[in-house]
Amino acid sequence: MEGFEPVTRELPGGTFVVFPGLCKGCGLCLEKCPKRCLDWSERLGIYGTPAIEPVDGETCNYCGLCALACPDCAIMVTKKKRGDA
Amino acid sequence: MTVKPAMPESWRLETKPHKFCPGCGHGIALRALGQAIDELGIQDRVVFGCDIGCSLLAWDFFNVDSVQTHHGRTTPVVTGIKRANPELICVAYMGDGGGYAIGAQHLVNAAGRNERITVILANNTQYAMTGGQMAPTTLPGQKTETSPYGRDPEATGHPAKGPEMVAAITGEDAYVARGTVSKLPQLRRMMVRALQNQIEGRGFSFVEVLSTCPTNWRTNAKDTWEFLEKKMPAHFRTGELKVPAAAGKDEDGKKAVH
Repeated sequence: MEGFEPVTRELPGGTFVVFPGLCKGCGLCLEKCPKRCLDWSERLGIYGTPAIEPVDGETCNYCGLCALACPDCAIMVTKKKRGDA
Repeated sequence: MTVKPAMPESWRLETKPHKFCPGCGHGIALRALGQAIDELGIQDRVVFGCDIGCSLLAWDFFNVDSVQTHHGRTTPVVTGIKRANPELICVAYMGDGGGYAIGAQHLVNAAGRNERITVILANNTQYAMTGGQMAPTTLPGQKTETSPYGRDPEATGHPAKGPEMVAAITGEDAYVARGTVSKLPQLRRMMVRALQNQIEGRGFSFVEVLSTCPTNWRTNAKDTWEFLEKKMPAHFRTGELKVPAAAGKDEDGKKAVH
């Protein structure tokens, strides 16, 4: 799977993975986020548009709405289980 | 361990990222369908038919047998496949232009005969592939290429309500629902029930999906969500319109929780 390199970001309560090789920069996830904790990244997506990244790891509540809103499955959000912390 | 994208198993990885525009709702609608196919474990039995328009860009989307036809003819083609080999699970995927305008007679007749197929129709309120012309589903006042002053219901009528029409003409054992790409889990459950209805050989299954088209709506991400979640439901109510009496019950005959 060339081009689907994951960019993993460890947040206090979980993990946020984005695949710039799939992100087309539509911004639907940014607007869907109830905590407004995503923003454009320095990294470019598949169409040369900015990919996304979480800017504020503290406010993210790992609801995963951004992953559900992504038409390209470019986002994965996993919440740490209670015992793992 | 390499992290893989959370795509449905039935998606064809070599063709990703898919060919749809950034922000296109087809990706989410087909994700729901892929998840439903995975959930039912029917990937080796599915035949996927796509129509002309943006929906044809899904011709290599799934790792299942696919066929592409024009102008709503997906419904009769898929009907023929189903009649020739009833073991297969046949899905026709089309847009609102193909299903409600050019190919409306095929949808009407297949629904009237209560064919045992599943039709999934993405409604984005205009003809997207040809540049955003007015379609039967265009909302009153909506500006498109061919209605630059907004759609006038006096001259061109009100938005077509496909699921309501299909629910009125199908038999008792049809499944008819309208979902939206802003609610993926609900849409997935609708797809599962639509496929289940066909697997059990009950009757016609129809799911309309309210979809997005930022390219032709000329909207940014915020306005895209607003159009999809505020303006479209004012004319198109989401939910299940028709559920067969036998469906939605588990083996003990109790009503299943959905």
